[in-house]
This record gives sequence, structure tokens and C-alpha cells, in this order.
Amino acid sequence: MIDNIIHAAFIMTTPILLAALGGLVNRVAGLVNIGLDSMMLAGALVGLMVASQTGSWPAALVAAALVGGLLGLLMSLTVTRLQANEIIVGLGFNIAVAGLVRFFLKSWYGTSGTLSLPDVAMLPRIHIPVVADIPVLGAVFSDHDPLTWAAWLLVPATAWFLARTRLGLRLRAAGAAPQATRALGLNPLNLRDASTVFAGMMSGLAGAYLCIGVVGIFNEGITAGRGFLALAAFYFGRNRPWPTAIGALLFGLFDAIQIRLQGRGLPAELVQTLPYVMVIVILTLVAITLKRARNKGA
Amino acid sequence: MSAVASSARATPAIGWRDVALAVAPLVLALVVAGIVLAVAGHNPLEVYWLLLKESFGGVKRIAATVAASTPLILTGLATAVAFRSGVFNVGVEGCVLVGGLAAAYVGFTFVGLPATLLLPFALGAAVIAGTLWMLVPALLKARLDVDEVVTTLMLNFIAVSLTAWLVNGPLLAPGSANSATPMVVEAARLPRLMPPSTLNAGFLIAIALLVLYWLWGRGTALGLETRLAGLNPRFAIASGINVPMLIIKMMLLSGAIGGLAGGIQALGTVNRFVVGFSPGYGFTGIAVALLGRGSAIGILLAALLFGALATSGATIQLFSDVPIEIVNILQGTVMIFAVARFGWLLKNRQGGK
Repeated sequence: MIDNIIHAAFIMTTPILLAALGGLVNRVAGLVNIGLDSMMLAGALVGLMVASQTGSWPAALVAAALVGGLLGLLMSLTVTRLQANEIIVGLGFNIAVAGLVRFFLKSWYGTSGTLSLPDVAMLPRIHIPVVADIPVLGAVFSDHDPLTWAAWLLVPATAWFLARTRLGLRLRAAGAAPQATRALGLNPLNLRDASTVFAGMMSGLAGAYLCIGVVGIFNEGITAGRGFLALAAFYFGRNRPWPTAIGALLFGLFDAIQIRLQGRGLPAELVQTLPYVMVIVILTLVAITLKRARNKGA
Repeated sequence: MSAVASSARATPAIGWRDVALAVAPLVLALVVAGIVLAVAGHNPLEVYWLLLKESFGGVKRIAATVAASTPLILTGLATAVAFRSGVFNVGVEGCVLVGGLAAAYVGFTFVGLPATLLLPFALGAAVIAGTLWMLVPALLKARLDVDEVVTTLMLNFIAVSLTAWLVNGPLLAPGSANSATPMVVEAARLPRLMPPSTLNAGFLIAIALLVLYWLWGRGTALGLETRLAGLNPRFAIASGINVPMLIIKMMLLSGAIGGLAGGIQALGTVNRFVVGFSPGYGFTGIAVALLGRGSAIGILLAALLFGALATSGATIQLFSDVPIEIVNILQGTVMIFAVARFGWLLKNRQGGK
């Protein structure tokens, strides 16, 4: 029972974590991405289609990352070059892409809402022989797919990238001090575009994970607002990779618990509100601490 | 074109350039959606003509369009009120939900009251619920400078789950399995203006509020103060305006109008609260406020436009094989283009002259 929940929690964490790391890098470079959900949705659909056509899961992941990155690029150009407000553009992308996906399903496949395709190549599960039999540890480490491993390896990688590499520093500068970036002869807008493309690719992968890692079919509601949970995760983690990952894991755990609560008389709907409540509480606590520190300083 | 533009600059009223800029997002969205339609094998012009006919061809169709635009006028107004004072409230959707549920609750609980008491009571409950829903983000923004975009966005999801829990449990209609409250009694329903259309007295309330908004924006001190605070908060503070207090006031007002939108929808159209009560009225309200550029007449026109799309989109699906989702594509792209600045395009043109 506990092992089941732990295993399910890791599965539910992967899509949130992938998109959250993308959104984190995006926000560090100066763009709050509200449109992660739309890129996830597009990635889910394209991932499933390619997985069915080619029978190859790596091809599906590449395609999902590409379509997510393309949406990210479009969104970023609207924000950086046409000076559009990022929040509105993000919401607009969510509405327009959701509409486009359903329009496409009806026009192309003649189905509304759900798409089930033959011969979908699902992500393989990596079984670790001895560890798998150990309680708890087995659930944490064994029988996960490559994308889950990649998501968790990307947490330290992102932390290292932002803190220690030249490009990471430049991205941070583009977000925190665009003028200084310009003074160094770099274009902060290009850096920001690159970060949004990255966020789009990560969200596309997250979407593909839902389709070919978990369910095997596509549904218009498959993201279930996970793009916003990702947003909640990097706000919760205040742009730091490890706390963000812990936030994502917590939300994944809520998700896993919530699925098990259904039909047991316990209000699953209230569990669903927890991640969002937590973000508001965290932001409030941080603001209070900041205010206290400022008052002390003055 | 340049001659028109320069003559427009001479008259300080609404010039052609303003009209062109206001209509541009819609035109661009129609072009994008037209490409989508063409790729799917439809003739975009035919589809748009059908949409136009289905939304404005005949009294019945117009009534349906106006009825569909009623909640959008209110959510557009709620958004505009906040945007005007520089507050980025994207939480009107949540206010619509809690307002709708509050109005429905009063409408099916206090069944003994006469209509003259029950209807104002139910609408009042919607207003109060919407106001209270915005209290936390308003206080957090004004007192602690917590980003209102994030808090109001998160509150939308909380509202969706919270209302879903209430109508699936404590407030579920007895003997019902479909996640809905009982119907509100006749006395709590807003009178229909043109039966069998769902057009109801809520539209008159919405128009009255639009007129108030217009008067308020031109002639009152608070109207000026909010505009100053929105345009330049530091100047507003320097002029002695209490900006944090103003932010609280305007966010609560925004929530109140959003709650009213839900109440009117519950008492005028749906007659109860159900899961999926709002197909995104709050989010469409953002598009309405942006496309209408925050002006009363602009909000009205934009709300009518989206109301028309909602009603005609539902019917063209019956007559043709064009999926209704073309409406969402239009709505999303209008939002995107409404905030995009095409200033550099105009600048190039002036440079060429």
C-alpha cells in the first residue's frame, strides 16, 4: 500500500517536475510562463501520434519536445519582440492551443475529446533487480521510466547550470539586470527566447510523459492543470531547483493520494486545492519575512 | 492613410488610428483562425458569414447573443476595474464560481421569502462572496506586495475544486447524482425579458453598471485616482493618494462585480449551480477588457462579440461540420494580439512617409 503510493507519487511528479524545471529557467531569465499547460497539451497529443506512427518512444519524445519548443518560441517572440504582456499571452496560448487541439481532433480523427491510437510505443520501465525487492527503496528507485530518471537528474544539473556555467549566469543576468546584459554586448531578449524554448521543450516532454508514460491514450483534459501545478512548484521553490523539485514531489504525492481517495468518502476535491493553498501560504510567509528584515534594517 | 491619420490627430476625440488599433487584434485573430479553417478544408469566409448570420440574423438570434454577452460584460468590467488601477487581477473566474454558488444557495434555501426580498438577497450574497474571495489577494498585494497574478490564479483553481466539493457533497440536490445544487425557486429567478430566450434582467443590471463605470471614470475623484495609480503609482503616492488602500478597494470592487456575474448567471440562466458552471467567463472577461481597451463602450462591444461567437459557435456545429472550437481559437488569439504592440509597424510607415 505505502509502496504503491510512493511509486505512484513519483510517476505523478515527473510531468510536474519536468515542466517546473523549464518554467524555473524561464522565470530566472525574466519571463513568467503561464502557458506551460498549453505546451504540455500539444506535446501530449504529438507524442502519442508519433509513438503510434513510428512505434518508437524516443522519436515521440523528440517530436513532443519540438512542438513544445515551437510553441515556446512563438510565445516568447510575442512577449519579447511585440512587447505583449506575458501573463495575458500565456493565458491566450492556453485557450487557443486547447481550442486548436480539440479542433484538430474533430477535423482529423473525427473524435471529440479522446484519442486512442494503435501500436503506441510506451516508455520502458527500468527494473533494478535487488533494490526492487527492498520495501520503500524499491518503490523509489525501481521500475521507473527513463524520463523520470532524466527529470530527477536534471534537478542538480539545472542547479549547476544556473550557478556555475557562463550561459546560466547570462540567463540570470537577462532576468535580473537586462541593462547590464546589454552593456556586456549580449541581447537579453535572445537569452529570454532561448529560455522559453527550453521551457516549451520540457513541457512538451511532460505532456508526452502523460500520454506514453502513464495512460497510453490522449484526452483533452489530460494535463488537468499540471502546467499550473508546475508554475505553483517553482513559485513554491522560489526559483531554486531542489526546493522546486520537493514542491513537485509534494504535489505528485497529493495527486497519488487523491486518486486513491476517490470513492472512499474522503473529499478528493479538497486535496486538489492543497498545492494552490500552499503556494499562497509560502508567498505570504516569504513576504512577511522580507518585510520584517526590511523593518529591522531601517 | 497618412492623410487620414494626421487629420485624426487634429481632433482629440476618437480618431481613425484609434479605431484601427482597436480593431487590429480582431482582424489578426480572424486571419489566424481563417488559416486554421482553410487548412481543415473549410472556406473561412463562408464560416464567418454563417457565424454572423447565426449571431445577428433575426430577433431571436440577437436575443441569444445579448444573453450570452451578459456575463461577459460583467467579467470584462470586473477585470477592467482592476487593470485600470494597475492591479493584474486574473481571478475573476473564481469570483464567478463562488458568486454563482452563493446566489444559488440563497435561492434554494430561503424559499419562504417573497421575490422582492429573495432576489436582492441572493444577488447580494453573490456580491459578498465575490468580494470576500478577493479579500486575501487584495490584502496580500496592498500590505505585503505579494504578486497578485499568482495568488488570484491559484485562487481560481481553489474555487473550482471547492465549489465542486460543495455541490458533490453538502449542497448536492437530494436524489441527484449529477453534481448540481437543487433548482432555485421561482421567486429568486431574474425575470426573462423575451421568453423563450434566456435573455433576462441581468443584462439591464450589466448595462446600468457599465453606465456607472463610464460616469465614475470621467467625473469622480476615485475614478481619477485609480487611473493615476494605474498609470504611475509613484506619482500617485507623491500626490498624496493612499495607493495600498486604493488597491484594496479596487480589487474588492473587481471581486464584487465578478461575484455578481456569477449570481446573475445562476439566477437568470442556469437557475442553479452545477460543476462546469462557467465555461471560462472570467478568462473571456480578460479578453473583453483588453479588446475593449478598458472603455465602457469598448467593453460592451467586445462582450457582444464574444457573446456572438459563443452562441453562433454552438449552432454552426449543428449546420456544418465546423468544430465549435474555432471560437476558442479566436478568443485566445484575440487575447494575444490585444496585448501585442505593433507600434514598430506604424513607426516604419511614418518613417517611409
